[in-house]
Amino acid sequence: MLPQNDRQRVAKMAIDLIIKAEKLSRIYVMESAHVVGLTNINLDIVVGETVVLKGESGSGKSTLLALIAALDRPTDGELSVAGCNIKNATEDRLTRFRRESVGMVFQNFNLLPTLNVNENIMLPGLLARRDNLSVKKKADKLLQWLGLSGRANHFPAQLSGGEMQRTAIARALINDPAIVLADEPTGNLDSRNSRIVMDLFQEIIGNGKKTLIIATHSTIADHIATMRLYLKDGALQFL
Amino acid sequence: MTLFRSTNFFFGLFFRFSIRHMAKFPGRALVVLLGISLGAAVFTSVRLSIHASLNSFNQSMEMITGIADRVVTRPGGRVPETLVGPLLKLPYVKSASPFLYTYVQPAMTGKSPFLLIGFDPILDRPFRKWQLQNSTLSDQGIWLDLMRFPYSIFAGQPLLDDLGIKPQDGLTLEHVGQSAGFIVLEALSSEGLALVEGGRVAITDIATFQEFTHIWGEVDRIDLLLDSTVSENQINQIHKMLPEGITLGMPNEDQLSGQRMISAYQLNLSVLSFVSLFVGMFLVYSLVALNAASRRKELAILRSTGASAKLIFFIFIAEGGFFGLVGWLIAIPISSVFAKYLLQGVGETISTLFVRVSVDNLTLSAWEIFVSLGMTMFISVLAAFQPAREAMKVFPKEAMDIGQPVATHRKSSRYLAITGVLFILMVWPLSSIPPPENFPFPGYLATFVLFLGFSMLSSWSLEMVAKITEPALLYLGKEPAWLAGRYVHSSGMRTAVSVGALITAVALFSALVIMVHSFRRTVELWANQTVAGDIFIRSKMADINRYKDPVSQNAMVFFNNLDEPVDIDIYRRLFLNYGKNLYQFEALKWDVYLRYGSFFWTEGNIKTGLQRLKNGEGVLVSEVFANRTGLGVGNLFQTSIRGTWFELPIIGVVRDYRTQGGVVYYSLEHYQDKTGDLNWGGVRVFFKDREKIPDEAVFQMRNRIIECCGDSVNVTLGTQLREAILKIFDETFAITTILLLIALVVAALGITSTLTVLVLERSRELNTILAVGGSYGQIRAMIFWEAFLMVLTGEFLGILCGIALSYLLVFVINKQSFGWTFLYGMDLKTLAVSYPLIIFTALAAAIPAIRMVFKQPPANLLRER
Repeated sequence: MLPQNDRQRVAKMAIDLIIKAEKLSRIYVMESAHVVGLTNINLDIVVGETVVLKGESGSGKSTLLALIAALDRPTDGELSVAGCNIKNATEDRLTRFRRESVGMVFQNFNLLPTLNVNENIMLPGLLARRDNLSVKKKADKLLQWLGLSGRANHFPAQLSGGEMQRTAIARALINDPAIVLADEPTGNLDSRNSRIVMDLFQEIIGNGKKTLIIATHSTIADHIATMRLYLKDGALQFL
Repeated sequence: MTLFRSTNFFFGLFFRFSIRHMAKFPGRALVVLLGISLGAAVFTSVRLSIHASLNSFNQSMEMITGIADRVVTRPGGRVPETLVGPLLKLPYVKSASPFLYTYVQPAMTGKSPFLLIGFDPILDRPFRKWQLQNSTLSDQGIWLDLMRFPYSIFAGQPLLDDLGIKPQDGLTLEHVGQSAGFIVLEALSSEGLALVEGGRVAITDIATFQEFTHIWGEVDRIDLLLDSTVSENQINQIHKMLPEGITLGMPNEDQLSGQRMISAYQLNLSVLSFVSLFVGMFLVYSLVALNAASRRKELAILRSTGASAKLIFFIFIAEGGFFGLVGWLIAIPISSVFAKYLLQGVGETISTLFVRVSVDNLTLSAWEIFVSLGMTMFISVLAAFQPAREAMKVFPKEAMDIGQPVATHRKSSRYLAITGVLFILMVWPLSSIPPPENFPFPGYLATFVLFLGFSMLSSWSLEMVAKITEPALLYLGKEPAWLAGRYVHSSGMRTAVSVGALITAVALFSALVIMVHSFRRTVELWANQTVAGDIFIRSKMADINRYKDPVSQNAMVFFNNLDEPVDIDIYRRLFLNYGKNLYQFEALKWDVYLRYGSFFWTEGNIKTGLQRLKNGEGVLVSEVFANRTGLGVGNLFQTSIRGTWFELPIIGVVRDYRTQGGVVYYSLEHYQDKTGDLNWGGVRVFFKDREKIPDEAVFQMRNRIIECCGDSVNVTLGTQLREAILKIFDETFAITTILLLIALVVAALGITSTLTVLVLERSRELNTILAVGGSYGQIRAMIFWEAFLMVLTGEFLGILCGIALSYLLVFVINKQSFGWTFLYGMDLKTLAVSYPLIIFTALAAAIPAIRMVFKQPPANLLRER
């Protein structure tokens, strides 16, 4: 029998568990070759955790993020994120999941060049068919918080790298998701802008309600991590 | 050696950089190749088909003309044969050959008429080349048997094959009222005269010809072979010795006027077929531009590793050239299929409208192949020029850049639009420039500038449409439509080019629908009012023999004694030349004709004009004649007909749609008084009681005419003739319709290609939308709305451009090409049905693009760095 405090921790985990992976695998079939993206991953992450995912290029970091973000499906094992079974859910369910539960920040920012800053931020809210006015209000707040108010009507091509990434962060937060996923968020930024971005992440997780997973090579996010994972050849190692 | 190495290196690099890239995306390249090859096939097959007709016509004319230096003719009549002797006595006339020709009908065979030529085999020997199939017979002088045996002929092998007969067989021939049995002595070998009309020709001795056709003592013309040292003075002496009304001219005048008419038709059809190629140009531009834009990083790497900007430029130019060359090669088998169908249609159209041609086979012309290849290559390379320029501007430094959002190019759209408007404003002044002879260059230049102007408006118009419709889009199509609007608003040249292709195709479609409708409506009105008459009578084969043979004596007696409740309008029709222009001179009984028929006057005073016409105080000319000769109301019509000099003021100009040149109308009574020519070309019969013309009475009258003189005349009911005119009209425009549909197919391919390319190019953006909460359905809907906005803009501008183009076609190009204009009218019914169909077709063209969405997995967003 487990001691009292461990039993309480397990009970809390059962309630607050937001990501649960069991024997999770993703194998890519490329012509005749089978390439291992991830293999036999077991992972439990609770609400409010800040996870730093490390590993060399090709180790499987992006594959794991893509699975958690429901941009891809596992080939084997189980993955449940915010109550959504990623492997078996219907496309509609996955779309709803992406709208409500996750926000993505990419290394390449991936802003839509035909939309201005404000419209890029509002986009997930509009796609989720939320009330325009409330989306607009939330976008204004985020713009102010991120210091982008003066840039609201600018197009991505008119922004600096740091501004683009801040816009991407605002876009990730517009629907108030439970999980924020960041894939090398400072990979294309200078050190000053990298620090700004990390400070913003720190603010996001400040109230402990959001789960943040950052995939990165660098040590820049180490100081905010509550859990550090290391991926090697698609397999997970806890640090 | 250096050049060889450089060329080798260039093509090696081109293969590795461009061809391998194309092989990676074969679908895109195939669509472009299909589009360009369809365009090239249409262009090539049309050119080859008309070339075959022109070739056949020229060959016939050249073989008939032979090597004559001058020809003696009598405008509106025949030349006395007795002139041959005095002409031959002139020391500088080396030879003179009297020559006759007519179309004759093989009796009871149901076969079409063929050309019978009559000459003196001895006198004609130096002029025209012909041999018998059996050369030993030729050597034995069997050709003289033509003179020895009356009613004998030598015939072309194709004619014998067609009639199912062989040498020594007999056959009965009919001509106007005569019918006689002939014997085929031998087949002509396929050279010289035997090539005339594709071999459907026979030759006979002049005496047999004259006896059979009842043309005693006269010939159609006398060909002269002059001494090489003949002087102008001596030629003038020949002129002087000829009786009044007989002229000495160049032998190829008919050929030149025929050539001019076929060439005008060739030019018009070539331009029409060029449109498919022009639309294909947008496809090439679209793909080469995509390659240049999407491979910027690779280009930067190439540049940073030592490739010069010039090398990059030529690699992209070579991409255009590659599409042109391969597209053209693919077009060859397609052209041969198209040409098979076009050959007959085009030949029939030319025969019906202009001059008789007989075409069985396609003749490959090195020049036409060169034109087709050259034009396809030019179009493709031209399409690649701008993307190639963009590609050469890529800086090597970009190799170090990370993926940044692509900047949009909105600032240039306004400048382009302003330039486009300026181009459109230039259209009317350009089209008003007087054209060189029968070559509607200003009209075509104006058309090209019009297309260019409207295409330049497309980028700005897309922005405007997207901006103006934004609230409506959000309301109707929610977020997908809004996103589509935003994309279209900022998409720049890529979508604009495709819309430009659609504008071109829709404009052409609209303009041709309007033109054909206006033309048909006017021709229908003209047929009902001007081609008036309840029964038409003319000599057998009068049309094909150009009314050379008058109505027979017994028919004239019959009509003169008619006491039925009918009026008869007798007319004399002659085919003449006014300067270089072929035209028809028609003398008619104004008082009878005007009681039942009327003209569309475009110039002149109708009230006073009609009385003056009846008084023989002047002539009425058709619009075609006026435009071809530059003569109008008040000018003098001056010519010699059958030896009589006519100098008459032009009283009015009227619409007329006879295709073999323009028409000049004059009073029959006054014509007969002046010339003494009492022959009739034909008769129009009108029933006096216009209220009630019983079919039975018309049929009875027709039967009576056939009973009396059916062996010498053709009898056609007015209703049948008018129906036949409209049928010819519809058949003529069938070719146009096919060419048009192909242009629309190529434009639809353009939409498919552009949208697919846009989807592939934006896979990162589309996956981002998915990652931030967009559903597959929303993204597919977005692509659909993008297509809808593009099609809407293209169709709207296309309609505007089409209306402007239809004015150009009706009032400029037709006038400059054929000399006529028509009453302008829109076929609203056809357009109302067609436009939604075009929208649906174009939207259907978006389906492959919609299916293409997410061909790349969304997870690539995280992998591609």
